[in-house]
Amino acid sequence: MTVLSLFSLPLVTLILSLWSSSAFASSDYHEHLLLHPLPQSSLLASFNFRSNTSKQSFDQQHFRYLPRALGQILQHAHTKELHLRFTTGRWDAESWGPRPWNGSKEGGTGVELWAWIDARGDEEAFAKWITLTQSLSGLFCASLNFVDSTRTTRPVVSFEPAGDHSAADQLHLLHGTLPGEVVCTENLTPFLKLLPCKGKAGISSLFDGHKLFDAAWQSMSVDIRPVCSADGECVVQIEQTVDMVLDIDRSKRSRSNPIPRPVPNEQLVCDTSKPYNSDDTCYPLEKTNDKAWSLTEIFGRSLNGVCPLTDFDGSSDQSVCLRVPHERGVFISEEADEIKKDDGFTRCFKLAPSAPFDLSIPQQPVNTEVPLDEPVLHAERTIVGHGQERGGMRIIFGNPCNTSAVDFIYFESLPWFLRPYIHTLHATITGHDGVLREVPASEIVKETYYRPAIDRERGTQLELALSVPAASTVTLTYDFEKAILRYTEYPPDANRGFNVAPAVIRILDTAHNAPIYIRSTSLLLQLPTPDFSMPYNVIILTSTVIALAFGTIFNILVRRIVTLDEAAALGAQTLKGRVLGKFVALRDRLRGKDTKVE
Amino acid sequence: MATKIGDQESPQASASHQPSVKRAPPPETPAAIQTRFRVIAAFWAVIIFLGFPIWWKTTSIYRASLPIEEMVDWADGKACRPVFPLEIHLATPSMQSLEAQHLLRTTQHALDDLNEFAAHHLRLKLSNGSTTATHNGEDSPESFKYLAEETADTALTVRLLPQEGLVGPRSELQTATTQLDIFYPPNQVPVPSSSNSPLSAFITAELQRLYSEEKATIAYILSGNTAGLDSTSPQLAEEIDRRLRRSIKYAETYHLSFSLFTPGSEPSSWDIEAAVNEYVSPLLQALSPISNFTIDTQVQLYANFAPTAPKPEYDESEAVWTLKKEGLSAFVNAAEWPLNPSIGSGPTINFILYIPDPSQSPLFVKENRASSWMVPQWGGVFILNPPLSHTDKQGGPSNPTHLSQDSLGPAFMTFSHQLLTLLGTPSTPTSLPLRLQTSIRIRAASLLLSASSTMGSLARLTKSLPSIPIPATVATSVSTTLSHLSSSCAHLREGRFSAALASARVAETEAERSFFEKSMVGQVYFPDEHKVAVYLPLLGPIGVPLVVGLLKELKRIAGRRKAKGAP
Repeated sequence: MTVLSLFSLPLVTLILSLWSSSAFASSDYHEHLLLHPLPQSSLLASFNFRSNTSKQSFDQQHFRYLPRALGQILQHAHTKELHLRFTTGRWDAESWGPRPWNGSKEGGTGVELWAWIDARGDEEAFAKWITLTQSLSGLFCASLNFVDSTRTTRPVVSFEPAGDHSAADQLHLLHGTLPGEVVCTENLTPFLKLLPCKGKAGISSLFDGHKLFDAAWQSMSVDIRPVCSADGECVVQIEQTVDMVLDIDRSKRSRSNPIPRPVPNEQLVCDTSKPYNSDDTCYPLEKTNDKAWSLTEIFGRSLNGVCPLTDFDGSSDQSVCLRVPHERGVFISEEADEIKKDDGFTRCFKLAPSAPFDLSIPQQPVNTEVPLDEPVLHAERTIVGHGQERGGMRIIFGNPCNTSAVDFIYFESLPWFLRPYIHTLHATITGHDGVLREVPASEIVKETYYRPAIDRERGTQLELALSVPAASTVTLTYDFEKAILRYTEYPPDANRGFNVAPAVIRILDTAHNAPIYIRSTSLLLQLPTPDFSMPYNVIILTSTVIALAFGTIFNILVRRIVTLDEAAALGAQTLKGRVLGKFVALRDRLRGKDTKVE
Repeated sequence: MATKIGDQESPQASASHQPSVKRAPPPETPAAIQTRFRVIAAFWAVIIFLGFPIWWKTTSIYRASLPIEEMVDWADGKACRPVFPLEIHLATPSMQSLEAQHLLRTTQHALDDLNEFAAHHLRLKLSNGSTTATHNGEDSPESFKYLAEETADTALTVRLLPQEGLVGPRSELQTATTQLDIFYPPNQVPVPSSSNSPLSAFITAELQRLYSEEKATIAYILSGNTAGLDSTSPQLAEEIDRRLRRSIKYAETYHLSFSLFTPGSEPSSWDIEAAVNEYVSPLLQALSPISNFTIDTQVQLYANFAPTAPKPEYDESEAVWTLKKEGLSAFVNAAEWPLNPSIGSGPTINFILYIPDPSQSPLFVKENRASSWMVPQWGGVFILNPPLSHTDKQGGPSNPTHLSQDSLGPAFMTFSHQLLTLLGTPSTPTSLPLRLQTSIRIRAASLLLSASSTMGSLARLTKSLPSIPIPATVATSVSTTLSHLSSSCAHLREGRFSAALASARVAETEAERSFFEKSMVGQVYFPDEHKVAVYLPLLGPIGVPLVVGLLKELKRIAGRRKAKGAP
């Protein structure tokens, strides 16, 4: 009634849009799960969720697949492209081979965030970056608000935008890491809320915080980027992935009895060929890959149908894939269909829309193994040296390939309290003959980008373009000095050490279109740590010394100096002297009595 | 050590009592006594004139001086008595000027006689009929916009038009402008000799009727009740009270968030752009002189009720699912539904369109079969029960996958109505521009009061907590607030309500800023006894000799005085 009256307003022009349902044609949603048993009885589960929102509805804040909270943060901080990573554990490249997604969907241990921000200058970009980290911190329940200027870097060659950006934007890349952040269930809950199906249907219904954070390695990622087609129509794409490597035995442990217990002797799998094998000595056999498992056992719940938002056309309806040899038997729920791929190792499953899905693999000896590629590069980084004042960094790069050299960018952001001496950068090279050769660093390092630290303002940023020859191992070393922090700058657990963010390695490989990323493990740096009761001790000691000095000088200045005799004379008249005299007399009398008795 | 002996004995005393056995020291020279006096005096001078001021300066907290008296005056309403003189133009295109003036005089007289609330009064003014009327007709939304102009805002234009064949006068309020047309039979034009005329009585009654709700509302805001007004019915008073309690605090920007929630997976899309353009944008354009609005929308599937919320019950007699009225407060699952406020300053108003699960459809409120309700100061909820389709292969009915603009119509009509209510717009009169003008005056009055009472609270706070610091920014904010408060009050007095609202807005922002200044609530990191414990090893050994030295010296001086006075 009152509303009706509005529409008679002659001044208001009703803008009837030419909008049609075709505006949503570009909004689509995909999800995909790949299960890949790995050596040593591990299972890689790789979840991927991707959806598009048209640029127009993103700008007008009509959110459908893109979460509103995240979309508003991006608009508020003028962020054009965002990459957020939560990672725990270590990827065992020697047993498990190359990383999922070529390492492009994982971060260093803890939280890693990088974004391209549209801003007029560096300062404005940093101000927006701070807004972004503060808002994301609230959204993801992570300590991202601790990404301050000392933890922020601006990498030059290590990252490149993945989206299609308009030329008008002045993009600034900012990168921040929190190596000490413990990723846990409180980060998974907001992550799940961002998904359209919210973990209620589709592959996201498998997520269980207990299992996910019990994994040997897991990485959650959120990537948002603009994607433009050739005809200039742009969409904003959000891609969320969760990758985890579960230990099959550990995951199958019953929920009601989660405490790990030693395996009884009779159940140990021992190498009986060893001469010392007996009842009380056992050489454990390597875990085999033919273990029986099922989705319900591993994840603690079954897959709840499909998310109804996925497009039912083409290949995207096969949302679950498994990589085991075709000879291996797999039991699946009744309503689902199995489609075997031609490569001999992959099979995908077409799920029924609303029926729960389970998949189980019986124990079965297999002759063929799913081939694992050799990683392109091995990298390892450690802190060497001893003492509280100095230390050294040693980075080992191994090129397993026998024919070609590997070119890559090595990116390190060091905290300001670790002061590297770049002039001590040395390289040694070990060829396939095992001979160690000292080479000048310039022979290995093609280019260097170095931004020195400023105390308490920014950290060191070091980017090296390196080349490792075929079948050789390069060891880079440099020395550093450990700074002494101020009293209040020490965290409560200062004796644990300080986290140094993992190094990022970007392999420039022409064979792959997408770059390969490898991240080293994070390091713990021991700094000279004071005894924290020290300030009170210092205050008390200094006060005592000052009081002593003051008392002496003051007494000398105000006291009268007399001879010993005169002192005795004066003393006899004072109250103290009189009391003392009486006491002496009493003592003398007592002594006299004693002698009389004797 | 034996040579050092305290000099408790004054020289006179030691000289008079000659001990027999041991040789007493010779009396101290006056020079030595003088030196000792100077040493002690010097030490104490350093402590009193250097140490003490440094300690005082470094440990005292900065408290900028605030005009406490003035602030309390504002809070008590002594500094300003808000008045609302409404200027009403009387356009009489077909009347003689003498007649028109007489009509104006008599009507004004009648209005003044009837007015029982002095702060709100209507002022009639004769205008050049034809021009004003067209002027007002053309740009009524913009007419709020001139802020600091010297003339008062025109609240209403009354156009008197003669019409043949009428028995008595007849009025017609134009719904899209601020114009009231009054048609009268030409023979009723009052003659200057008569003191009363049916036409002026009619105009008076019409005006009184138009502004009765506004008057009651303002009286309620200013005094907290409508007791002073006899003409206000208890129902109206209750209505005003409810509306004021529901409405959101005034802000420069409101974020409107429209959300589609459904417990299943369908519908997953809606014609939201078209619906917003059709139903919300025109209203926001009309409201644009008062506030800015941003709109965002979202679709959320698998949105379940909170586990503690009461479940819908099936009403078999009518074959509908019902929610109990008292359970509606738990309807919105705040823990799980992503209804976080929008980023940026200003409150967020949430509108929720809920599509019940096919197994619980249709869903209504049990008591009155309503499908929508408002959450005071937060937003509104609308339950949409779309027609179910039975074509699905799963068996069982299902919701449509897409909601068209037509099906969203009722929901968005309700949302616009809820938005007006949440913004505190009164329900009468029928003309929207008039209602918005009324809402400007109501907002100005409430902001003025709220900023004044914040000033009062700040004044009380600074008086009651002497240990909190008051930074200079607070003093600046307070002075800005006070100056804007008085300019707002002045604008009100002269009838420029838009300007008054603008000033009151600034005053409110600054008042809030000064009251919620972060550095004022800083906690003492080291308690005083802690500091004393740490510094006792220093203060103790130094303090004792100094104090003892001072006492001895005072005793000596007192003794000498006595000795001088005795002989």
